[in-house]
Amino acid sequence: MTKSTALALLALLLIAAPAAAHHGWSSYDSNNAITLTGTITEASYTYPHGTIMLETPGKIWLAVLAPPSRMSARGLPSSDLTVGAKATVEGYASRQDPNEMRAERITVHGRTIELR
Amino acid sequence: MRPGSALLDALQASSFGAAMRDSIWLYPVVETVHIIGFSILVGAVIMFDLRVLGVSKRVPVRMLAHHLLPWSAAALLLIVPAGFLMFSADATSLISNRAFLIKMVLLLLAATNAATFHMGAIREVEQWDQGTTAPASARLHAAASLLIWLGVITCGRMIAYV
Repeated sequence: MTKSTALALLALLLIAAPAAAHHGWSSYDSNNAITLTGTITEASYTYPHGTIMLETPGKIWLAVLAPPSRMSARGLPSSDLTVGAKATVEGYASRQDPNEMRAERITVHGRTIELR
Repeated sequence: MRPGSALLDALQASSFGAAMRDSIWLYPVVETVHIIGFSILVGAVIMFDLRVLGVSKRVPVRMLAHHLLPWSAAALLLIVPAGFLMFSADATSLISNRAFLIKMVLLLLAATNAATFHMGAIREVEQWDQGTTAPASARLHAAASLLIWLGVITCGRMIAYV
């Protein structure tokens, strides 16, 4: 492969890629911690990370949790992420998706679990 | 809708994609297999590249290549299926993950670089097999390989953090 072909490929990639970076780490605003309380309307206990949909007054948030193995080890089994349960998540809002946040900890069924 | 998204949806909806997401132990096990595989492959590649760049010139290049190539090929049998399984767990968001995309382009470059090395510079290896400096074109391939593979590992690790 010639140098110019390689450069062209890289350039193409750098133009195309920013379109939809998703679920990233740097894409969450860690300067502003937010706390949300609401009702779990959906829950997934899956790799690479679990998620819940949390219905708060005026907005339904997607809260990104942790890998199932970690949640299980920290004492948050899948049976605790009950649809209809009240939950509080503390974490950081996504800079890209106004409805998404990354939870650092979650309080559900009266217990707080650290996720990081 | 982006092209190929139906294929990605199908992959993610597949039984193995679902198993990767739902099983408590499968994902970490597959991830570990992927890491064991690429530590063998990239380790072998870097040792070979360093030799071509002039480190340990008394080691014959051909003998080293014959020793390392089968291990590299075997490692690919661990790496590629494990990587594919991890991809299937989260295909639709990985396809727009910048680190993942750069990693794929780097892999393409690494493969092209290796192929051109095997078709070109290595052909006359008997002239620089032992005790001499490899020709500039061979050293250029080795240096490129070294940098590309370090980039592959960096991007692979960054997939979880960008």
